[in-house]
Amino acid sequence: MRKFLCVQRSLTTKTGGDGEGPSPSEMQAMYARFAEWQAQFADQLVDMGGKLGSGKLVTDAADSDGPFVEIKELVGGYMIVSAEDLEGAIEVARACPGLVRPGSGVEVIEIHTP
Amino acid sequence: MSEQLVEHFFRREYGRLVASLSRRVGVRDVELAEDAAQTALARALDHWSHHGPPDNPAAWLYRVAHNVLVGELRQRSTRARILDGAPAPDAATPAPALLAGEMQDDLLRMLFVCCDEVLPVESQIVIALKILCGFSVAEIARRLFTTEANVYKRLTRARHRLRDVLKDGLDAPPAAARLPAVQRVIYLVFTEGYLSSHAQLALRRDLCDEALRLGQLLAEPPVGATPETEALLALMHFHAARLSARDDGAGGLVLLEDQDRSRWDRDRIATGLMWLARSARGEVFSRYHAEARIAAEHGLAETFEATRWDVIAETYAHLEQIAPSPLVTLNRALAVAQVQGPEAGLAIVSGRALEPPTWLAGSHQWSAVLADLHRRCGHEAEAERYRALALAAAPNEAVRALLERRLGTAHD
Repeated sequence: MRKFLCVQRSLTTKTGGDGEGPSPSEMQAMYARFAEWQAQFADQLVDMGGKLGSGKLVTDAADSDGPFVEIKELVGGYMIVSAEDLEGAIEVARACPGLVRPGSGVEVIEIHTP
Repeated sequence: MSEQLVEHFFRREYGRLVASLSRRVGVRDVELAEDAAQTALARALDHWSHHGPPDNPAAWLYRVAHNVLVGELRQRSTRARILDGAPAPDAATPAPALLAGEMQDDLLRMLFVCCDEVLPVESQIVIALKILCGFSVAEIARRLFTTEANVYKRLTRARHRLRDVLKDGLDAPPAAARLPAVQRVIYLVFTEGYLSSHAQLALRRDLCDEALRLGQLLAEPPVGATPETEALLALMHFHAARLSARDDGAGGLVLLEDQDRSRWDRDRIATGLMWLARSARGEVFSRYHAEARIAAEHGLAETFEATRWDVIAETYAHLEQIAPSPLVTLNRALAVAQVQGPEAGLAIVSGRALEPPTWLAGSHQWSAVLADLHRRCGHEAEAERYRALALAAAPNEAVRALLERRLGTAHD
């Protein structure tokens, strides 16, 4: 089995916020769906990872402000899954509730091990 | 590995959190408490998803919500200090441990706050559903069959009104004088769930369950444990026992007459009887006693025909004196029609200028009963007139279908 890094990306879409966030019931339903997904792919979820905070790209360029965007605006969290191939890893990530939706996407990158 | 939380855990915890936090910041700032509760639940969703729920989820939530609230208050006071040049506040206190009993007390206090007489009763219901039961505006609108804008308006007004009126209501113990208002709100939440023909069974059951939960909370001594509260609980248990049999499984309703009585929840009826027995004390025979008595008669009857309609008619007459309402009169007419014939039933409702209630569910029932009684008396023209009115007032297809089954199709 190969390993893949899944990085959540916030996509800047201009969807008008509906004011109210998810209700307590909806959050519980989301929690249940997430738990279901975890159980379904338990064998493939190598590391549940976690949320990522703010960061900065460090380079040797003189202009340190550079054309770079602060990482926090892009990355929400990460996890590591195992799969036969990229397609398999994408399948796991795509099935994760709330990961692929308007305003959020996931980057799936293979981790090469020697 | 995926531990399940009990049903409605998030929603119920929301109510507890808001009630407990409000005691610390005052009801005037209930929105701060609501925001902190919402944030804590969102963090729980995120954190527990990745790491599994903690050993004591409720305590975890309370700690996080408390910290969020303290952080917000500190920011606010910093802002205020900068504006006013006021001195620095005391260092924040850590989240105090909450005893289970205290939580219950906080919920109860909050329930009394929501039922403040300065609010119209519709607003009391909405704010109780929002704050104590953790329903969102959209969920309340769906359950009360009204628009989100309407719910939002009621909620905003209620909050403004409470803010104007309250110095800090939560410091005062629940006042016995407000008990009838609290019982009324619980009763209305229940009947909205029970009688509503609009929503799916699951949504209706939600409201009934919430009303039962609040009623149970109220029945704890000392303030709310009165015979009226116990009768109210009896009444709700009797009705809830028949909830499933009332649903035809296809979005339609089944009339009492046609219900499969083997599907009634006998345990619930027994619980209802227990509360009814307990309520039989004191000097007041309240509307809840009367309604519980009637519901008990139905619950204990083997068949529709074997129902003791004379007892029911008598109790409705009693109820009509305690709490006059068009629907009570209507129900008495139906019971009397069972005992003495349709003419006697019709005599009760004819010649009266009775208006069906407008905002509660079930106003179409009025015309339907009149159509039924007139038909049974052989008054074809009148029957037809009320039948048309009932069908026109039917809130949805399921009810219209039920009425057509019951009242017959149009005569040519």
